[in-house]
Amino acid sequence: MLKYETIFITDSVMTEAEIDDLIKAYDQVVVSGQGKVLKVEKWGKRKLAYAIHRHEEGSYVLMVIECPADLVKELERRYRMNERILRHLTVRVEHESQLGPSPMMRPRPEREEPVPEMPVAP
Amino acid sequence: MRMQSRGGGGGGRSGSSGPRGRGQDRKKGYKKKFLFRKKKFCKFCDEKVPYIDYKDVRLIQAFTPERAKIFPRRISGTCSKHQRKVMQAIKRARILALVPFLAD
Repeated sequence: MLKYETIFITDSVMTEAEIDDLIKAYDQVVVSGQGKVLKVEKWGKRKLAYAIHRHEEGSYVLMVIECPADLVKELERRYRMNERILRHLTVRVEHESQLGPSPMMRPRPEREEPVPEMPVAP
Repeated sequence: MRMQSRGGGGGGRSGSSGPRGRGQDRKKGYKKKFLFRKKKFCKFCDEKVPYIDYKDVRLIQAFTPERAKIFPRRISGTCSKHQRKVMQAIKRARILALVPFLAD
């Protein structure tokens, strides 16, 4: 079984409770397919870089799961069926750092650091 | 300012071999002009970054300046191995609307 990292974006109208229900539902799907949920992260409401279906904001949820390949297909099918999910992405876990807290979960003070500047030709 | 340097550099650099300065196989005029250019290096090799995360918006933004185009290797100095990973990360971040496809 492989580890996958899956993210979905719901519309911003969705309440916290609704999102929790959704997570629970997908959790169920994974568990019933002999999979395991390793991590769930709620990033909360974020402004989208561009409008998706005229939505300017969306709530992000990240899940790291360990499951057979068929289950990914099933999960993505379910994402597509839900009209309130604006976008989803599932990628294979390539590095252990993906199992820990993601950069989104970094505490505020660390974010205050100056943005790493790229060297620019003089 | 960046645009200026990009245009000027591109013109003078036609036919040069790569991002790393190999002074001897450059044209004479070019060599004279950029004699004191700082040598470029791959930031990721230098810092031994193990994984370039598409969720790290700040990092992605550093590589998509101005109009949100992918920062070219010839200017950033990133090695091809890491540039590929940066590219992959940027494209994933775009799908998730973390960074724009284009900005104006």
